[in-house]
Amino acid sequence: MTDRAMELIVCAGQTLLENGGEVFRAQQTMEIMARSLGVEGFHVYVLTNGIFASARGQDGGSVNLVRHVPLTSVHLGRVEAVNELSRELAGGQLDLDGAQQRLARARALEETSPGAERLACMTGSACFAFLFGGTLPEVLVAAAAGLAESLLCQQFGKRRINRIFTDIVAAFLTTMLALCASRVLPALDVNTTTIGALMVLTPGVSLTMGIRDILNADYLSGAIRLLDAVLIAGSLACGVVLGWLAARGLGVLLW
Amino acid sequence: MVDTFPMDAAIQFLVAIVATISFGVTFRVPARHYLPCGLTGAVGWLVYIVCLQVFAMSAPVATLVAALPLTACARFFAVRHKAPITLFLLCGIFPLVPGAGIYYTAYYFLRNDRALFVNRGVETLKIAVALALGITLVCSIPRKRPHP
Repeated sequence: MTDRAMELIVCAGQTLLENGGEVFRAQQTMEIMARSLGVEGFHVYVLTNGIFASARGQDGGSVNLVRHVPLTSVHLGRVEAVNELSRELAGGQLDLDGAQQRLARARALEETSPGAERLACMTGSACFAFLFGGTLPEVLVAAAAGLAESLLCQQFGKRRINRIFTDIVAAFLTTMLALCASRVLPALDVNTTTIGALMVLTPGVSLTMGIRDILNADYLSGAIRLLDAVLIAGSLACGVVLGWLAARGLGVLLW
Repeated sequence: MVDTFPMDAAIQFLVAIVATISFGVTFRVPARHYLPCGLTGAVGWLVYIVCLQVFAMSAPVATLVAALPLTACARFFAVRHKAPITLFLLCGIFPLVPGAGIYYTAYYFLRNDRALFVNRGVETLKIAVALALGITLVCSIPRKRPHP
């Protein structure tokens, strides 16, 4: 009984964490679930990429679970589903079996279709190019670059290619596209276009959430996120600089 | 310039809604929450540009001021839709998040431009801290209990 309940609780926490829930939310939710399921002596320590939980078993022994939670993609729909599950569990509308089924269903919530994702990436890039002061040419080129970059990310993601490498290539491609377009449209502001298109990849949310974790006194989790942000920013900039260098080389060769 | 500002702001507001929803899609927010997410992001962005252009505040201060109504909005929608606040917050902060700042910081670092690197880096950090502070501030206002 305690074993199954613990398995459910930690699994729910893992689902929250790997789909973009905050560290303290995962911790809180797991504690609430443990109380609702009557798990005794429940203690949990949550990090950005791991969960450590222990409880007292019925025979007096202890039940311990450790999970490594690598950062995967954000899926807020699942976060919402688990949140609802824990609320209903606390309200007494669900028992252990029901909760297990609900959790399985939450984890199986479907992804957005690749087409919708590409479209979102395109409009997002275009909108940000506009918000950063771009006009029609910047918006159009940013949309094209956004499409190219989401295609690339999807293909690389399917082949499980390293994320840092993906970011470098995506930034490189975006910059090259913007620079080539500026050959045809001399009025194009390459910086606005590039940053508009790369906004989808920039780790702004990681940075802000990292600082939020630190303000919540989750220092280690915050540090993990900050490091993540620095690494991604570095690889994006690396791709952009490589793009400029390559374009300059091409320019020397062709013109 | 001043005369066209209301019109300009309205367009920016609409574009910010679309931009935020786009990120909502990539974050796989359930479709029924798209509009609240968009509104949350757009409110933050509108306050931000008004602070920046009308009151001539610096970017970090404007971000802090904008984070307050943004988080309030997110909380309101979270209570109304019985969804975790993360949903609206994560998408809503996207327009304000210093993505461009981080990018330029790393860019100047690689270009070996020390002065611009430090400038941009410090400002980016200030903006991120301001945003996080604003969020934490509003989130820590205790919720009124419906059944005392």
